[in-house]
Amino acid sequence: MSPRTIVLALALVAACASPPPPEPGPPPSPFSTLPPHPETPAVASLIDNARLDFQAGRYANAAASLERAVRIEPRNPRLWQELARVRLSQRDFAQAESCAQRSSSWAGSDNALRYENWQLIAKAREERGDSAGAKAALDSAERLR
Amino acid sequence: MFRRRIFGSPQPQGSRFWRVFRLSVLTVALLGAGFVAYLDFRVRNEFEGRRFALPARIYAQPIELRAGLKLSLADVADELRENGYREGFREGEASWYQKDGDALEIAERPFVFWDGPQGERRLRVTFSGKSVVRVQDQLGQELPLARLEPLPIGGIYPGNNQDRVLVRLKQVPPELVLELLATEDRAFYSHHGFDLRAIARAVWSLVRGHGLQGGSTLTQQLVKNFFLTPERTLSRKLTELVMAVLLEAHYSKEEILETYLNEIYLGQDRDRAIHGVGLGAEHYFAKPVEHLTLAESATLVALVKGPSLYDPVRHPQKALERRNLVLRETRDVGSITLEQYAQARGAPLGVTTKPATGTSPHPAFVELVYRHLRRDYDEADLRSEGLRIFTTLDPRVQARAEAALDKRLAQFDREKRFGDPGLEGAIVVTDSQTGEVQALVGGRDVKYRGFNRALDAARPVGSLLKPAIYLTALADPAKYNLLTPLDDGPFVWKSRGAPDWAPANFDRQYHGAVPLRIALAQSYNVATARLGTDLGVSHVLGTVQRLGIEHEMLPYASTLLGAVDLAPLEVAQMYQTIASGGFRAPLRAIREVTTQDGKPLKRYPLAVEQAIPPEPIYLITAAMQGVVREGTGQSLKNWLPPEIAVAGKTGTTDEQRDAWFAGFTGDRLAIVWIGYDDNRAARLTGAAAALPVWGDLMASLDPEPLALPKPEGVENVLIDPKSGLRADSGCDGALELPFMNGTAPVERAPCASAISTAVDSVKQTTKSWWQKLWKR
Repeated sequence: MSPRTIVLALALVAACASPPPPEPGPPPSPFSTLPPHPETPAVASLIDNARLDFQAGRYANAAASLERAVRIEPRNPRLWQELARVRLSQRDFAQAESCAQRSSSWAGSDNALRYENWQLIAKAREERGDSAGAKAALDSAERLR
Repeated sequence: MFRRRIFGSPQPQGSRFWRVFRLSVLTVALLGAGFVAYLDFRVRNEFEGRRFALPARIYAQPIELRAGLKLSLADVADELRENGYREGFREGEASWYQKDGDALEIAERPFVFWDGPQGERRLRVTFSGKSVVRVQDQLGQELPLARLEPLPIGGIYPGNNQDRVLVRLKQVPPELVLELLATEDRAFYSHHGFDLRAIARAVWSLVRGHGLQGGSTLTQQLVKNFFLTPERTLSRKLTELVMAVLLEAHYSKEEILETYLNEIYLGQDRDRAIHGVGLGAEHYFAKPVEHLTLAESATLVALVKGPSLYDPVRHPQKALERRNLVLRETRDVGSITLEQYAQARGAPLGVTTKPATGTSPHPAFVELVYRHLRRDYDEADLRSEGLRIFTTLDPRVQARAEAALDKRLAQFDREKRFGDPGLEGAIVVTDSQTGEVQALVGGRDVKYRGFNRALDAARPVGSLLKPAIYLTALADPAKYNLLTPLDDGPFVWKSRGAPDWAPANFDRQYHGAVPLRIALAQSYNVATARLGTDLGVSHVLGTVQRLGIEHEMLPYASTLLGAVDLAPLEVAQMYQTIASGGFRAPLRAIREVTTQDGKPLKRYPLAVEQAIPPEPIYLITAAMQGVVREGTGQSLKNWLPPEIAVAGKTGTTDEQRDAWFAGFTGDRLAIVWIGYDDNRAARLTGAAAALPVWGDLMASLDPEPLALPKPEGVENVLIDPKSGLRADSGCDGALELPFMNGTAPVERAPCASAISTAVDSVKQTTKSWWQKLWKR
């Protein structure tokens, strides 16, 4: 065994022995992923209103409440996902897909959320007659599992 | 003799005269009746039109009070006051606010939003320093969110820039009506449109050489208002008289009086004509008409005879004399007592010195709103239906943008560092995630509704186009990453039919091989020109289009270095797409429109589209952070700490005619342009002229740090800048840079030790494996 291999093997052992590295904290590094933050009460109340409107079929009102929420917490992936659902119901499929993608861009390592977003994207593509695209989206969803 | 006739009974010849006479009389009568019918139609048309033509009302975005909102008590109180709320508790009333230590008690007025009405309510808002801590209702219950009524910021008026604060007759203080009648038309309630005695008096006064004095009733004056041209001929006077009679025939005294009170011309505020006592009260006394005192009402009535002559601001002495005359006349007819007269006469004029605002304090932004609305509504509806328009303007951001531009331009004028005095500028500020326009400054004189530079000053963008070129490159990870060496050696571009193009750097030097990120940070023209031509101009222009520029750009090499004219708003659209992670959101100034009664009409929804994949956007953002960290934008450190991690780009054009700075933080994007209107050569640079304005503005807005979420296809690697190779924490000046997976340098830098580099590399791999395992 060459010295280099020994060193590498030792390094590997050292790396495995140490506990999983913690999530990077907030800046100084400007590229660190953001820790997920809980919803503020303001946003929670707007989501509740949006849900009620959505269930009653008042899609424009639901969207309006969600957009108010987005202005308060633009990095909240759940808000963008809810918007994507509303857009689906409003039959604005292009926007449904875009909002789902925006949601995923803020999702960090929340694969469950990403999975839901791919499902939404698949549905939006299906409705637009893009079966190939829909299948591709479903495949992307499955790859997350 | 009898003449032979074919029809009819025989007639004597002598009565031919009478026949003709009768016929003539009939004709005249018919013509007269026709004319009167025409006038009747006109009177009713004008009257109905005047009564119901309401300008569109434009609102800023409402403050959404909630725990954590970054607004101080003073900020909120200022907006309430601006919106007509008074300071001090008032029993049983709304529309006031009261400071209570570090809290604010507010009695909110009812307001109809697009999504429904909001009733009167009491709020208690507690602050700590510059943010809201808690919002409570009157029972002390905590409210998660409380939306205040928005600030009105202007309107869209009927063609001749008239403004209206419509009042109902019962809102007008009775004393004002009495003063008006006493001075202008004592017989108002008894005449039928014209007053013979008044006319006789006027004629007598004319005969005696006192000039033509009045004689017109209120009805006649109202009719006079209907005509656009102020002819004073006899025929016009007669027409007005007939129309006045017709008006009285159709409408009640109350209706005529009410319309008169809303129509009467009371002065000029820059480009805005003050019509009606509602607006008159606001303009001269900063209060609603209901609250006018006897003396103040008299001042308004005094203006009827001559709004310029008796202008209380410009001719206070004359205004005072006429006011007292009005009071005297009112006393003479017995409408007020001697005591009331004496007290009012002794009062000072009391006019406020509110600065002239014209139709809006923010005409540049209103212009943008108007243009967006014109896509969906026609002129007539916009100007007369009383539409309520809810916009994206943030009054605090707007105020600070105006202040920043004004302050710096004044300083530049004094210093003459960039050239002669007379520099102009423009600013656009948007929400970096939603594309909402929060502020728009069209020039230095913000109150003046003139050339809107933010929308219409298309100027060469110079280096501001460079990020689009580098973005195009970074989208090809096999060939380009942030460390790829670019050649900043002499470059000549030959193209058939055009002269040779040999761009030069700002410092007139060549820098040899430079890493891609440095070429952007230092804005090297030569390296960029070579890169752009390698990529292909149309390829680059494709990126520019995807970023949101619709303006047609010529596919010449010089376009690469920004020989393309764009207005600041267009530049903002381009940078918006970068700032929101590649998701293009069309810039919006309007959120919703309702009818006058609050019925929802139209909503402009948030719309995004993934125009550029997130990975190259992440890389270009990092490169633009380099511009500020160590490049041409590094003087920004004098305004903002490094934690904010601003991404920006300076822009300077040919012969230094333009200075640009485009930059974004975690929550806002702002574009600043400085230059001369006549496009003269100056000594401007983006860093020296535009950056300070940007810095002043952003520093005053408490910006959020910029921290883009890292896309899956990107990894952060520690690099030794000197060698461009992998570093470890032991290396001096090591920098973390993003790379598309698998494109980072593998070789380690001399300063890094073998073990730690290997460990770092394994740690990175393990971390991703661990994350996958736990699906965190």
